[in-house]
Amino acid sequence: MRVLLVEDDAMIGRAIEDALHDAAYAVDWVRDGHMAETALVSGHYDMVLLDLGLPSRDGLDLLREVRRRGHDLPVLIITARDAVDDRIRGLDRGADDYVSKPFAMSELQARMRALARRRGGSAAAVLSNGVLVLDPATHEVRIGDAAGVRLSRREYALLEALMIRPGAILSRAQLEERIYGWGEEVESNAVEYLIHALRRKLGSDSVRNVRGVGWMVPRGD
Amino acid sequence: MDGAAGGLRQSLRFRLSLWLAGSILCVGLVSGMVSVVVAYNEAHEFQDDMLRQTASLFDQRHLPTARSLAGGSSRDADPEARVIVRLVPPAKAGGTGTSRSSFPARLAAGAQTVELDGVPYRAFVQVLDSGKRIVVAQQTEVRNEAARNAALRALIPILVLVPVLLAVVAALVRRLFAPIARTAGALDRRSGEDLEPIPLGHMPTEMRPFVTAINSLLERVRESVSMQRRFVATAAHELRSPLTALSLQAERLAASDMPDAASERVATLRQGIERNRWLVDQLLTLARAQTSPTPTDSTASVRDALRSVLEDLMPLAESKQLDIGAEGDADLHVPMNESDLQAVLRNLVSNAIHYTPPGGRVDLACAQAAGVVEVTVEDSGPGSPASERERVFEAFHREADSDAPGSGLGLSIVRTLVHRVGGGVELGDSRRFGSGLRVCVRMASARAGMKADASGRRD
Repeated sequence: MRVLLVEDDAMIGRAIEDALHDAAYAVDWVRDGHMAETALVSGHYDMVLLDLGLPSRDGLDLLREVRRRGHDLPVLIITARDAVDDRIRGLDRGADDYVSKPFAMSELQARMRALARRRGGSAAAVLSNGVLVLDPATHEVRIGDAAGVRLSRREYALLEALMIRPGAILSRAQLEERIYGWGEEVESNAVEYLIHALRRKLGSDSVRNVRGVGWMVPRGD
Repeated sequence: MDGAAGGLRQSLRFRLSLWLAGSILCVGLVSGMVSVVVAYNEAHEFQDDMLRQTASLFDQRHLPTARSLAGGSSRDADPEARVIVRLVPPAKAGGTGTSRSSFPARLAAGAQTVELDGVPYRAFVQVLDSGKRIVVAQQTEVRNEAARNAALRALIPILVLVPVLLAVVAALVRRLFAPIARTAGALDRRSGEDLEPIPLGHMPTEMRPFVTAINSLLERVRESVSMQRRFVATAAHELRSPLTALSLQAERLAASDMPDAASERVATLRQGIERNRWLVDQLLTLARAQTSPTPTDSTASVRDALRSVLEDLMPLAESKQLDIGAEGDADLHVPMNESDLQAVLRNLVSNAIHYTPPGGRVDLACAQAAGVVEVTVEDSGPGSPASERERVFEAFHREADSDAPGSGLGLSIVRTLVHRVGGGVELGDSRRFGSGLRVCVRMASARAGMKADASGRRD
């Protein structure tokens, strides 16, 4: 996958470039908005990592220009501006996601993967939190190298909802929404029953409860 | 009392009223006295004139009859006025004593005061062409009474007008000073962030220099506040970029193959960087909370903010095997923006996690009563002695003997953010656990406020 990195800070740029090389991405690193524009016209990229605070041309401006020209490639904003407004404006102008400085490389890479998956539209890509690997094609879960465990339709729906973003806490209402279709009658305790079943199959630590808030699958780092 | 009296003495309005009232009373008094004296004298002069004119009416042809004159009965005269008209007896007839008393014969022409039977009279003697002398006289007592009455009548307008004038002056002074009171009240009601200049519209000329000076002060404050804001924003960027670079490099270093001893040191290094990052974040959050304007129209859901904070902090809680949980599932809203509310909750929960020993418990609760949202965080940690509780809100305060890796800014941030929206923070002993701290944050409910408005409008 070929990535255009637009970042003016030399230290950050080098660190990201090196880390992405290690992760087998092809990276072109440019340090200002004009060069980024030139690069976008001449080359083909699968994704842009865009720092907002650029010299000579503002990142938001560049983003609008890119979208105006009809480039549909995924754009992930990197920003040191912590004002909520900036993030919203970035997303409004067509960014797909953002990370705020300081960020961890693992977070950036996770978001890049999620973005690529979303843009690729590949519903069949496996979901993983580092411990569990969920295969949407077969409705199977694998733990490490062990053989896959088959899940029922509702068990799968519930686990999928949690695995889309490991570490996110989903409330009972949110989970019920995912496992029941419209018009289906919600059975009381259904969520607890399904979680109990999942834990029996996958281990008691696989799905965690946050008392009074909801359930989550842990982020594996 | 002393203060109030001092305050009155200092009051320009009070002094002005006092001086005006004093002046009015003095002028009233003097003019009253003058008009009494003048009226008294004028009444006398007028009466003298009257006597003279009465006397001049008599001439040869209209002499009063001897009988009427000698009879002494003054039928024609006003009995109240007690004016009598007599012929002055010739000097030679002075000896022929009559039973009735009469004016002494030696009266000179013109006005004079004489006594008749021991009663003082004012008399005017007119010499007729025939050489006869006629005297027109009036009792002094009657004259004096008339003069006194005239003088008192002259005093009446002043007696009526002085109180009216005093009332008018009091009302005028109050009215003229009203712009000052209005301006002061409007300034007083302002929030600390409202640095708009005071409108000069209908300001009295005398107040304009003050208001202009205050406005230029406000302008300078506004400039320095916006400079501070720019500084905070720039500092955020300048501090974060090198820190990001550093942590990215350390992360990459940790991922490379190296001996165990080296990777242990890299882990320590990364912890240090992480702590630095947290400190910078906290400092910037506090600086922003202290300098940025309070957003007025945003509301945030406590439940959503709490979930997002717990998602971030669960790994930390799990590493200490803490049982952490929340109660109350009503969807409550407070008038804060989402990132501020998250900063409040993140600091409260991370404090609780830091100070609670492994295996302990942290309980969160949110409830609403009478339009106030109350978020409480209780932990089973060692708690905080009552004597420390005010000081923990100070920036960089840390519990003694604590090795918890906090920044010491958490509660400062919480209090600053909560105070900005008119709420309050309270520390106490945990009610659920034997030891432990209970932190309670109270803020107005955003939804309740809206409902109250709506029902108010319906009424």
